[in-house]
Amino acid sequence: MKIVAVIPAYNEGGRIGETILDAARFVDAVVVVDDCSKDTTGVEARAHGAHLLTHLVNCGQGAALQTGMDYALKILRAEIVVHFDADGQMRGEEIPMMVKPIVDGQVDVTLGSRFLGKAENIPLARRWMLKAAVVFTYLTSGLWLSDTHNGFRAFSARAARSIRLRQNRMAHASEILDQIGDKKLSYREIPVTIRYTEASLAKGQKTGALFRIVSDLFKSKFIH
Amino acid sequence: MLFKILLAIFAVVVMVRVFKQYRAKKVGANWFGFWMIFWVLVIVVSYTPQTTDLIAQVVGVGRGVDLIVYISLPIIFYSIFRLVVRQDQQNKELTDLVRKIAIDNAEKPKN
Repeated sequence: MKIVAVIPAYNEGGRIGETILDAARFVDAVVVVDDCSKDTTGVEARAHGAHLLTHLVNCGQGAALQTGMDYALKILRAEIVVHFDADGQMRGEEIPMMVKPIVDGQVDVTLGSRFLGKAENIPLARRWMLKAAVVFTYLTSGLWLSDTHNGFRAFSARAARSIRLRQNRMAHASEILDQIGDKKLSYREIPVTIRYTEASLAKGQKTGALFRIVSDLFKSKFIH
Repeated sequence: MLFKILLAIFAVVVMVRVFKQYRAKKVGANWFGFWMIFWVLVIVVSYTPQTTDLIAQVVGVGRGVDLIVYISLPIIFYSIFRLVVRQDQQNKELTDLVRKIAIDNAEKPKN
């Protein structure tokens, strides 16, 4: 089956090359969506053999993921699409584990979970914020998950086609879960390892971003 | 008294700006007329607030000032709502455009 990894990237110069090489060992193609980075992300992605798509305007991670999925499905004819982070938090060697239930035809979607797996160095404040998100997700989408904001996901082509992200920024993580619930896609959580490094923590969602995510979600539910 | 003077100065400044935008053809004749009348009314009401009391009594609100608040708040809230919706729509259109350009110009790996 043709497996394509989609990596949204914004200012990931210095890290993106290694991430591409790590993921490329386990997939047929790597698609990097450079979300108008100000550094050498695009150059490095090109040099490391990824398909490179460039956003001329910074649109956010949700928009970059959707662009990558469109390309993977329509142009590369992907049969499985994997969402993979650019910052080296995820392990390429766990991709086969993520896609296996889809290849075997057991589920449409797999979602990585830090709490079923071995999370390394999750700060306490972030751990509690993620727990709160579990309850929020259950209330809004009906999905009870151990980890709701994990960027490691895999979709069958059918599932990927049925998902349409409208949330450009970080609220897309909740939006994906909402759509999995709405479209009644079958899913399974897979334990994955997320490495929290200093660089990824500095770049990751700050606790203050929670307000923005909630307000984006609020708008998406009441305005669209 | 100071408040009335400041409000009048503000209204005049805004009217001058609106006029300049009208002259630069950034604002249509209808909008220009509407905003001119609106700011003239602001000045009139600030100097003779009792004029609004008459209207307030007709519609059954105690004071003219209250009437203005009751009318303006819903208008302001609705305008904000409209702006948010429009901004959201434009954002979506921009994203679609950026996406199309990105996919049309995708760079494939050389080997």
